[in-house]
Amino acid sequence: MTIEFSFSKKHLEMREGIRGLAKSVIRPQALAWDRAGGIPDEFLRNMARLATSMGSNAMTSGLGDEADGARADLADAGDRKKKVGANLFGVLAAEELSWGDPGLLLCLPGPGLGGPPVRASGTTEQKKRFFSIFGSLADDSAPLQWGAYGLTEPAAGSDVAGIRTTCRKDGKHWVLNGRKCYITNGARAAWTVIFATIDPSLGRAGHRAFVVEKGTPGFSVGRIEEKMGLRASETAELVLEDCRVPEENLLGGEEKYVSKEGFMTAMKTFDNTRPLVGAMALGIGRAAYEYTCEFVKKNYVLSRPVPRYAAIAERLARIGRSLEAARTLTWRAAWMADEGEPNAKEASMSKAMAGQAAIRACIEAIEICGAEGSIAKDHQLLEKWFRDIKVYDIFEGTGQIQRIVISKRLISDLKAF
Amino acid sequence: MISFQPTEDQKLMVESVAQFARTTLRPKIRDFEKARELPEAVRRTAHELGLGLVALPESVSGAGLGLTTAVLLEEELAWGDPSAPFALGGPGAFGLAVVELGTEEQAQKALAPFAADGAHARFGAVAWGERKPNVERAGLSTTATKKGDDWQLDGAKAYVVNADRAEHFVVFAQVDPGAGWRGVGAFLVDRGAPGLTVTERATTLGLDAASFGGLELSGVVVPASARLAGGADFDAALVRFFAKNALLVAARGVGLSRAAFEVTREYVDGRKAFGKPIGHFQAVAFTVADRAMDVDASRGLVWRAAAAWDAFARGEGSERDALLLTAQAIAFGHEAAMRCGDDGVQLHGGAGFMRDYPVEKLMRDAKQLGLCGMTAEHADQLAAAVTLGAPIDPGLVLPTPETQSAFV
Repeated sequence: MTIEFSFSKKHLEMREGIRGLAKSVIRPQALAWDRAGGIPDEFLRNMARLATSMGSNAMTSGLGDEADGARADLADAGDRKKKVGANLFGVLAAEELSWGDPGLLLCLPGPGLGGPPVRASGTTEQKKRFFSIFGSLADDSAPLQWGAYGLTEPAAGSDVAGIRTTCRKDGKHWVLNGRKCYITNGARAAWTVIFATIDPSLGRAGHRAFVVEKGTPGFSVGRIEEKMGLRASETAELVLEDCRVPEENLLGGEEKYVSKEGFMTAMKTFDNTRPLVGAMALGIGRAAYEYTCEFVKKNYVLSRPVPRYAAIAERLARIGRSLEAARTLTWRAAWMADEGEPNAKEASMSKAMAGQAAIRACIEAIEICGAEGSIAKDHQLLEKWFRDIKVYDIFEGTGQIQRIVISKRLISDLKAF
Repeated sequence: MISFQPTEDQKLMVESVAQFARTTLRPKIRDFEKARELPEAVRRTAHELGLGLVALPESVSGAGLGLTTAVLLEEELAWGDPSAPFALGGPGAFGLAVVELGTEEQAQKALAPFAADGAHARFGAVAWGERKPNVERAGLSTTATKKGDDWQLDGAKAYVVNADRAEHFVVFAQVDPGAGWRGVGAFLVDRGAPGLTVTERATTLGLDAASFGGLELSGVVVPASARLAGGADFDAALVRFFAKNALLVAARGVGLSRAAFEVTREYVDGRKAFGKPIGHFQAVAFTVADRAMDVDASRGLVWRAAAAWDAFARGEGSERDALLLTAQAIAFGHEAAMRCGDDGVQLHGGAGFMRDYPVEKLMRDAKQLGLCGMTAEHADQLAAAVTLGAPIDPGLVLPTPETQSAFV
C-alpha cells in the first residue's frame, strides 16, 4: 500500500463510459424529466441493465448469484468489483451519473436505500426473498421493481429515536400504525423497510424494522410530494392503519432486538450511503462549476488581468477547491469502507463537506452567469441544479446531524446534546 | 489505485519525526520563540534524521523520496512547532529553486555543501521579493546587467526567509527590463560576495523562531555559470518552483491546523461551564467538528497534490493536474490553518489570549505561514488560470511586489 490517487486503465475506461452516457444520453433529457415529474420505465430499464453490466452491486444482496439473480448473466462483474473496491466504484459512478442527472439515480429500479438494511440485518432467508424480485431485469415483460426505506415521520426526522409509528405482536403477525413521509420511490416500491416502535418510551431499544410489502392489508400510499428539486424522483407518504405484517417480515428475526441492535440497523445504513450521497452532490456541483467555467471562458477576456476577471477567477478557484477537497473526503470514506475500517466519522465528514461545497457551487454558478444563469433551457440547467442540490445537505442526515455524528467521535463522553 | 495508506517505510519515518516533534520540539516551543531560533543541538538531531534533503533527487545528494514522503514529514515537524521546518537549517527553498531552475550540474554543485559534515548549521535562502513595486516598468527593480562574461546584480531584496542565516542564495533579478515578469533571471550568490549586505532581521507576527529579512546588492558580480537558466521554459520552471515550495509550506499548515485542533479539542473536554464540559454544547462541538474537517480535507488535498507530482516524475499524469491540485491544496490549506488557529483561540475564551496556552502562538503562526511560499490569493489565481486554460502569467500568479508579497 502507498498513498496513491490514480486509476487503472480499465477503471478509467469504465468512468469514461459512464461520462459519455451521462453527457450524450442523460443530460439532454434531464430537464424534460424534471418537468414531467418522472422518467419513462423503458429508459430506467435500460439504465439499470447498464449499471448492472458495469459491475454495480446496488441490486444484489451480497449472497451471490443464487439469491440475487440480477447479475447472474454477468460473469466478470465480480472481478471488477474486487479490483476497484465496491464502495470506491460506487462513489465514482455516483458522481458521474449524478452529473448527468441526479433525479435519474434516485429513480433507478432496485432495492435503493432499502437494500443496505436488508443486506446488513436480514436473515439469509429474508435476503433471498426480498432481493430475488430484482432478478427479472433482463425480461422486458416483467415489471420494474423498487425497494424503499421508511424511517422519517411527520414529527420525527433527524431525531430518529422519536418515531411514533407503533407495532404490536398479534399472533403470527405484527400490527403497525403510523405515517411515514418523504419516502423515495415509496409509492412504486414492492417493499419498504419500515421502522416502528413497540413502546415510544423505550427509545431506540423499542425500535423494530419490518419489510412491508405492497398490498399488505392496511398499508397505503398517501400523497405524492411536490418538491423544490429532484422532481423526476417520486417522494411519497406511506400510511399504516392496522397494517398486518407477517412475523417473518421482521428484519433479522426477534433475537436481533434483544439489545438496541434495532436502532443500529437504521444507522448502519448511513455509513455506506453517506459518501455515496456526498458523491452525488459533487456530481451536481461539478456540473454547475464546469458550466460556469465554460460560460466565463466565452464571455470574458481572459488574457487581461482586469479586476473583474481576478474576482471571478478567485470565486471559481474557491468553488473548484472546495469540490476537490470534498471529493477527497468521499474517496477516503469509501476507501475505508472497502478496507473494512469503521468510517462513521469520515462518512459524515464527506457528506457534510460535499453537500455544502456543491450548494455553494450551484448558488455561485447562477451569480457568476448573471441573469442568463436563472433561465431554464435544454442545455442550461443551472436553475435546475440550484433546485436539485439543496436537499443534499438535508437527506441522509442534515449537515447539522453530520456534525453531531462527527463531534460525538471527537469529544469525550458526549452521548447526546 | 486510490489508497490513503502510507508505505511501511513512510510510517517508520513519520513515527521517528513525530517522536522528535513530541519530545524535542513541542515542550520547548516557547523557548524557541523567545530565543528566536532553534538551538544547535536540536538542529543537529534533525539533520541526523535527514530531514532537509528528503524530497531532493538522489542525483543532487538528496534522499530521492519524493514529495509525498516530504509532506508527511513536514506535517509532523510543524505539528511540533510550526516555525521548526523554517528554522531547522538545510537547503529549504534554495534546494528546490536550484533543482527546478538550474541544470543538474549546477544543482549538484550548489547542494553538495548541504550533505557534508556540519550541514546542520548551513542554511540556503531564496531572495525573490522586493519592498515596493517598480513604478517605471513591470518586473523586479533589482537588475542583472551583463558585464563581459559576468553578471552584475544591483538592488534590494525583501521578505527573504533565513536571510541572516544563509550562506547560499538564489537571487532573482531583472535580466530583460523590457520583458516584464517574463524577463526575470535567477542567480546563485554566496554570502561572502563583495557588495552583498544582509539587512536587519524583521520582527514578525508569528513563526518567531524562523527568520525573515532582506539583502542589499551593490555591484555584486557573479560569473555566467551562476545564472540558473536550465530547462527550455524558465517561466514554467519558476511557477513550478513556487508551487512545490508552497506545497511544502501548505503541508506545514496541515501540521499547524492539527496542533491547533488537538489542543482545542482537549481544552473543550476539560473546561466546564453551566455544569458540563463546554464541548457538550452544540455551538462548541460543531466548531470542533468543522475544524476536524478542515484538518482532514487540507491533508487530503496536500497528499493528492504531492502524489500527483511524484506520479508525474514517474511519467504518469500531467503537470497541469499536479499544478492545479497544488494550487488548490495551498489555498485551502492556508485558509484552513487560519480558521483552526482563530477558532482555537476563540474556544479557549480569554485563556486563549494568554501566552500560558500555545494556541495564541498557533493563531499568529497561521497568519504568518499563510504569507509564506504563495498566498491563497495567488494560488487561487493560478488554479483559475489552469482551469480556464488562460496563459499562466507570472505577474498574476506569483507573489510579486505589484500584487501581494510573500516570504519565500
